[in-house]
Amino acid sequence: MIDAQRLELFSATARKVGAEVTSVATVEEAVAAIVALVRGTVLLPAFASGARLGLAGKLRAAGCEVSEENLRQSAPTADTGITGANFAIADTGSVVLESTPEAIRLATTLPERHVVLLDPRKIVADGLAAVPMLRQFHQRDPRNYLAYITGPSRTADIERVLTIGVHGPRQLHILLLEGLSDDPLEM
Amino acid sequence: MSKQRSRQYKARIDQALATPKLQEALHRFGDAFLVSRANAFAGLDFEALRQEIGQMKDAVRENSPAYVAEFTRNAEAAGAKVFLAKSAEEANSYIAELAKARGVKMVVKSKSMASEETHLNVALEQAGVRALETDLGEWIIQLAGQKPSHMVMPAIHMFKEEVAELFGKVTGQTEAPEIAHLVQVAREQLRQGYFDAGMGITGANIAVAETGGIALVTNEGNARLASTLPKIHVVLVGIEKLVPTLEDAAKVIRVLPKNATGQLLTSYVTWIRGAVPSHDDGEKELHIVLLDNGRTALAESAHCKDALRCIRCGACANVCPVYQTVGGHVFGHIYIGAIGIILTAFFHGLDKAAEIVRACIGCRACVAVCPADIDLEGIILHLRAVVGKEEGIGLGKSIVFKQVMRNRRLFHTLIRAGSVLQKPVSKGERSIRHLPMYFSSLTEWRTLPTIAEKPLRDQIDQYARKLDKPRYRVAFFGGCGNDFIYPEMGISLVQVLNRLGVEVYYPQEQNCCGIPALYSGDRETAVDLAEQNVKAMLAENPDYIVTTCPTCTMALKRDFVEHLADNPVWAQKALELSEKTIDVSAFIANVLKAAGEFALGAEGEAVTYHDSCHLKRGAGVWQEPRALLAASGHEVVEMAHADRCCGFGGSYSFTSHPHIAREINKDKIDDIAASGAPIVAMDCPGCLINIRGGLEKRGLNVRAAHTIELLAERLK
Repeated sequence: MIDAQRLELFSATARKVGAEVTSVATVEEAVAAIVALVRGTVLLPAFASGARLGLAGKLRAAGCEVSEENLRQSAPTADTGITGANFAIADTGSVVLESTPEAIRLATTLPERHVVLLDPRKIVADGLAAVPMLRQFHQRDPRNYLAYITGPSRTADIERVLTIGVHGPRQLHILLLEGLSDDPLEM
Repeated sequence: MSKQRSRQYKARIDQALATPKLQEALHRFGDAFLVSRANAFAGLDFEALRQEIGQMKDAVRENSPAYVAEFTRNAEAAGAKVFLAKSAEEANSYIAELAKARGVKMVVKSKSMASEETHLNVALEQAGVRALETDLGEWIIQLAGQKPSHMVMPAIHMFKEEVAELFGKVTGQTEAPEIAHLVQVAREQLRQGYFDAGMGITGANIAVAETGGIALVTNEGNARLASTLPKIHVVLVGIEKLVPTLEDAAKVIRVLPKNATGQLLTSYVTWIRGAVPSHDDGEKELHIVLLDNGRTALAESAHCKDALRCIRCGACANVCPVYQTVGGHVFGHIYIGAIGIILTAFFHGLDKAAEIVRACIGCRACVAVCPADIDLEGIILHLRAVVGKEEGIGLGKSIVFKQVMRNRRLFHTLIRAGSVLQKPVSKGERSIRHLPMYFSSLTEWRTLPTIAEKPLRDQIDQYARKLDKPRYRVAFFGGCGNDFIYPEMGISLVQVLNRLGVEVYYPQEQNCCGIPALYSGDRETAVDLAEQNVKAMLAENPDYIVTTCPTCTMALKRDFVEHLADNPVWAQKALELSEKTIDVSAFIANVLKAAGEFALGAEGEAVTYHDSCHLKRGAGVWQEPRALLAASGHEVVEMAHADRCCGFGGSYSFTSHPHIAREINKDKIDDIAASGAPIVAMDCPGCLINIRGGLEKRGLNVRAAHTIELLAERLK
């Protein structure tokens, strides 16, 4: 079930830190939104909800060049990385990505743009409410790499002027699509 | 005291003061920080949050070996190798040896203050390994061959034109001094480094004992790249960054970005536990170097151990008037600001901290914003006493404090003599505008008050009335400023309190409160004076002890208790004195509840109020004087930065750092003038000396007065 208040807070907070938040009703709408954004190779590391949707095939059918493997080779020149999200945190506008597979990290650190597919049913209130999930990840996987991502990469290191996109993605697009997955342990 | 060290220090101050652009930038930054910080904490109980963090960190400190063991066990179970480095050298050689053994020619680093602390880059270079800083600010200062001037924003002291020139040397072409362009240059120039490097080195904001994992709180994304692309990941982290559980980590993360940069959260929070998959079928080689390097010694220090609560947000520098005036290259060593003074003493040696330990003006602005509830000023004062003991406090001060002040009769006789001797320069006026020759710098930026012809103690009996059935009988602690410089302030107090049914008397045996000695590093004299004053003030068993000086109030309420805690004769009495001591505004407003007793003026005059550091952040009193001024018919107009230090700081503005004090005073006078009010009120004789002096020297027609004087004028 969608908690409307949390969703609203999440969207507002994420937008405030420079993320684009868009609701899409179907996977086709999601694909159309992605196609409208990308200008080059799309990195699509494996994640469960993406596989269920047949995202790779649909993107290719829509004319995207999709790279699913050997991301170390394709990542440096790729335009966009596409991932799911395990869940999100409302009060800070963050998406949480279980990034233990290296491909997830490559797709979310190197390209100019990061598109995240988030099921709006998976939004917790705040950082403390996220801890039980963190603990479950730790119990499930002895080794893990978990990322909270809040807006695009930023710096204020020169004259304290906020500048977007220093080492990480310059754009963060969050596509809200209900029905992706209701399990926070699954991306 | 090392003369060469002092000379170099003074040269650094002069250089910073000659860079007004830096001061302007740091002032703007400090203002913006306060606004964004307040927004970030909206709706949250900062006091409760910081107490929680303080308590959690204390528990870690008390059981540090157990948490180190738990962390190590869990990290190693997840495939990490953990090395506990006792010293900077041990940490550096572990990392350098590892790089050599793996044939690493280049490492990429993300921002790590611990690696600055250990001078890791130098050690790597000596081992033939190139270290490439990837945090934008760190890269800039690496190219410039400098060290960070802020813990969170290392290159805050540099300007885009300088950055453009540095980057131009890297790219071999002219780079436009436009910030967006320069950021793009850094992105392009550093990107290949992550692929070429054989090792990524990061710090950690948190190490979680429960999981054996670390958390990185960052904005740029370089730590994610440095911990992902190279085959080897080395984490260098101080043992004080340990927290017991993931909940505790979440609590630190809830506060850290809000208090560091005013962000609700940084762009990235990265949790890494163990050697994660890397290079398709392989796995990462993860080394975690836990750094002690003085931290265990700090944990053993009864007076300083709270500093280990620090979560490295840097806020203590952001709000510091001294930092805003001279920057982190003066007010710091590797770590900067208030916490930097303390960490420097324990991590880099007392000698490196000996000058900056005196540079704190004692305004407690840092204490008010510390997210770990550390009494930074209290610890710095203690360290100043340690330095005073080790190096001496200078012959002049030593004679004044030990030989003169402790002997009340001699001290007061000399002050009385001064009242006569000053006549050639005072010309009978209440302010000295110019002092001759050697002393001329003292009146360069403010006039100085003269010593009163007749101290308060010699004339108070003319004014203090015996009351038939007094509501209370209070002893008045005048303090040197009230007694010998502004006796009229004490007369006002007597008139107001008598009218409100309170009998006032002035114990003649009271002496200096000891703060000047304590702040100069002479704790022995301060303790001696505490005894004298406890005895004098309690002799006639008053209901309260009232004061007009918040610095004296801090001494009576806080310091005497601490000075005499181990003394079986005086400990209990010091506590009694502490409980009975109250500043006069709080006494009138809260004890007498007498705000209604003052006459409303026919037309309210505008008054702007200056919060004295020790009244607001020491005694917690700031609403009371405003309420009394408003109740007595004045219109209270707020100035900007009302609670920012006026630059007095006792001997700070006379002998130790007059040039920094001058700048801080200038800021205050600017804010008063901008308020447009014809009167500035305050509750401190020290602030009055400095503010009246600054106003007079600038020729501004603004009256400076103690609140009690304004109230005396409004008695019904």
